[in-house]
Amino acid sequence: MLYLIRWIAIHLGRSTSRLILYPITFYFLLFAPSARRASYDYLCRVLNYPVRPWHVARHFFHFSATILDRVFLLTGRFSLLDIRIHNLDLVERQLAEGSGCILLGSHIGSFEALRALGISKYKLPVKVVMQEEHNETITRLLHSLNPEVGKSIIKLGKPDSLLKVHEYLQQGYLVGILGDRAVEADQTIPCEVLGEKAELPTGPILAASVLSVPVILFFGIYNGTNRYDIYFEAFAEKIIIEREQHDCDMTRWLQKYADRLTFHARQSPYNWFNFYEFWDADV
Amino acid sequence: MNGSDIAAQTPFEQEVAQLIVTSLNLEEIEPANIDPESPLFKDGLGLDSIDALELSLVISKNYGFQLKSDDSNNVKIFSNLRSLCQHIESKRKK
Repeated sequence: MLYLIRWIAIHLGRSTSRLILYPITFYFLLFAPSARRASYDYLCRVLNYPVRPWHVARHFFHFSATILDRVFLLTGRFSLLDIRIHNLDLVERQLAEGSGCILLGSHIGSFEALRALGISKYKLPVKVVMQEEHNETITRLLHSLNPEVGKSIIKLGKPDSLLKVHEYLQQGYLVGILGDRAVEADQTIPCEVLGEKAELPTGPILAASVLSVPVILFFGIYNGTNRYDIYFEAFAEKIIIEREQHDCDMTRWLQKYADRLTFHARQSPYNWFNFYEFWDADV
Repeated sequence: MNGSDIAAQTPFEQEVAQLIVTSLNLEEIEPANIDPESPLFKDGLGLDSIDALELSLVISKNYGFQLKSDDSNNVKIFSNLRSLCQHIESKRKK
């Protein structure tokens, strides 16, 4: 199925291949009940009008569109897309200094818009930290389109994973981390996202404090048809987590991040790509 | 942790055990009770990748060399206190 989609995308062009987004959306609606529930639950939180099935469909459509666009991004067909970058000077200043920084992202929008564009077009030194088992098949398939971008992954889960991050930062790399999704073993702290408690992983903030590098936020927002807006936002020159008040410092930084998640979710509601029970159930 | 049935620490292992406990702020762990042959990560002492990073920064400060991520022996080096100490002793510059 995935191979077929990739073939269609490469051989039939973007507008034709976008036709397959309709059956894919329909498929999700019918056969992915947990994602459908998660979408509905999220939309009820973010929209200020009653959620209808077509809103959930639109949500899936946006998600599928960004996945399909990864094919075009990874094969370097940037001219098909209208990608606008905001506050690039934040990153350029960092690169000019030659010191690395952490790009803290999320599952809002498309990180590929930033990664593929950054690496292939602007030749930026970018690495992305990722869970090893995360979407293995689709990741392998997409990376086969562009081995150079595929090589940008730093796999988590080994004792020396962060040593690698440290070394790349020393070489002036921009290291991307998605900070909104906790996996089982992760330590989390409850933060307010869209006004209600959700568990956010402490790992990325803690790592940034130990690595003592600046943190810049990024959001690769998909704005329909072929338009992407990549936003960079200053977050921290240096994150300091004092041992004695670990929880207090951590909560403050994570909530600051959570506030930006809330802002962008409200701004671009259909870009939220956490299709699981994100919020604490017992609240 | 039962102190009686663990392998004995060498003086250098005692030093590094102390360093691990202080630098990672493992308040509830007595350095002398770290079994040099039991795992440091996950099931054993329960350290994670961030602890490994902090530890490697402290090691580079105290012993003058940097642990490298492309060292294929890393899994072994980080496997327990004994192998970590052996690695430090073979690489230390101070």
